[in-house]
Amino acid sequence: MTTTIVTRFLRRTVAGLSIAAALTLLGSATAYAAPVWERFEPVKALLDGATPRTNGIGLDIPLVSEDGSSVPLTVTADSRMRDDDYIEEIHLFATRNPNPEIASFRLTPHTGLARIATRIRLNETQEVIAVARTNSGEYLVSSREARVTVNGCLTRADTYDADNIMNARYRVPNELARGEIGEVLTMINHPMETGLREGADGEIIPRRLINRFTATLDDRTVLEARFNTSISANPYLRFHVRPEEAGTLTLAWEDETGAATQEKAPLQVR
Amino acid sequence: MSNTVLVAWSGLVIGLIFGAVGQRTGFCLTSGIRRYAQERDGRMLRAFALACAIALIGSQILAAYGYFNLNRSLYIQPGLPWLAYLGGGLLFGYGMMLANGCGARALVLLGSGNLRSLVVLLMLGIAGQMTLTGLLAPLRLSITEATTLALPFADASLSGVLSHWGVSPTLALTLAVAAVAVPLLLFALADPLFRRSPRHILGGFTIGLLVPAGWFATGYLGADDFDPVSLASLTFIAPASNSIQYVMLSTGTALSFGVTVVAGIVAGSLATALLTGSAQLQGFPTPQRMVRYIIGGLFMGVGGAAALGCSIGQGLTGLSTLALGSFIAVAGILVGAWLGVRGPLRLSTV
Repeated sequence: MTTTIVTRFLRRTVAGLSIAAALTLLGSATAYAAPVWERFEPVKALLDGATPRTNGIGLDIPLVSEDGSSVPLTVTADSRMRDDDYIEEIHLFATRNPNPEIASFRLTPHTGLARIATRIRLNETQEVIAVARTNSGEYLVSSREARVTVNGCLTRADTYDADNIMNARYRVPNELARGEIGEVLTMINHPMETGLREGADGEIIPRRLINRFTATLDDRTVLEARFNTSISANPYLRFHVRPEEAGTLTLAWEDETGAATQEKAPLQVR
Repeated sequence: MSNTVLVAWSGLVIGLIFGAVGQRTGFCLTSGIRRYAQERDGRMLRAFALACAIALIGSQILAAYGYFNLNRSLYIQPGLPWLAYLGGGLLFGYGMMLANGCGARALVLLGSGNLRSLVVLLMLGIAGQMTLTGLLAPLRLSITEATTLALPFADASLSGVLSHWGVSPTLALTLAVAAVAVPLLLFALADPLFRRSPRHILGGFTIGLLVPAGWFATGYLGADDFDPVSLASLTFIAPASNSIQYVMLSTGTALSFGVTVVAGIVAGSLATALLTGSAQLQGFPTPQRMVRYIIGGLFMGVGGAAALGCSIGQGLTGLSTLALGSFIAVAGILVGAWLGVRGPLRLSTV
């Protein structure tokens, strides 16, 4: 363990120095460095040649996090979220995590506000990228550096409450006016095992992820989400809903083993 | 008001009280030990013992009523990294004697115009962050990992040990609290001089109460199903570092409980000092003294970060959870401090 820490430390320092040297060289050749997303394959594949806007979308992540296992993230895109003009998709990427795709969301005009908050895992200091696509096919991109330092104090083993796994909870506004946008919080007890981690016995703990979440208001889709390994344990989502009339908001979680949970939240509209 | 804002405000109030009480009563473990060892005046040390007992009893009562679960605090962890606690404690204790006061005392003194404390706090904050997440962090983590003892029970606390031996949990907790609190109270109240000194009694009592108040703020007011605040109470190494970091990075970091406590202490002490006319700017008489304080600050930062707490963080807050690690850290701090007043490493009186 000691040697791995020391080598990791050296490797980072060496990598840091060589990157610094490379940047100095680059800096003399070009006036500025191109944004990370332009060189990042998964984003290039998603954009497929389209030129995105870099305004109208914001990514909010703490500058420094001491706990890379749970970094709060909020992505917001400017949009009226009406039938003729709304954000249809939001994709999140972590450039230096084992699986760069963090999560993808499909939004609808019923979402009301193109803002989603969750908590993510970051392996190391890196660039986090958000790409949004409007219903007319226009792309918006934002990226932000998130620094992660060693997390010394919270070395508590990843034990979780196996009895309450797939236990979901939610919070919705007591009452909304017609067409008012309300905030929905929901969370589920789940280890989000990445399949990349060894247990105490040295065996790889098998992968087990929540991979799908949907929120529907009666028969209308409000939000669909797909998660990958970089979503923190006990997945958490904050999103919005704009109900035109009272109804039942169904929050459905599904994991890779097929286990599923549904919570039904009544929405009062006056 | 969201739970995080509520916790930040509570931290400020707790800090203001700490600052005012500390400024008026001179509550300080360092002076307590020095006066006890050199002048046979035990009142300040006994005030610290009283604070320790009050913190323990108060925290355990609130925990028993279910306001928070102290086993979730960072002091109680599955293993026991004894060397980090002991070595860190020793370094902290000796550093506290070099700098003539711990981190919390330095904050109080800074508020009343003592600029020596500013130097100590800057050194302590930088060294603390270096050890927690910076240049010394890999070393700290490897020492911690290499010397962590696996324990045969889940809760590394005194009550956890007793329940492991078959005592029922409630009885184990009562016995453990009594075994620590009664000797502390007896020690505090044994001295007639202390019993006749309302200033010291009030200082120890109030500061002791602030520890359960801190647990209550983060554990009860900060509780939220979706966005809980991490359980914490008074401690000064990481918060001193975080305060320096917050000043520089506030647009990208959240305001934490510890940072508002730090701000509150300086403000509370400043206000009290101005109101009572006791504020006075003070600097270093000689450069040699400055070197000594700088080294003291560095020792406290490195040691306090390794031991996960200072004289207050482990001595009052850590012990209030009955964590085994806190007993080791406090033993280290006391021995380190003792080396500063007796024996070959004895320091001159400032």
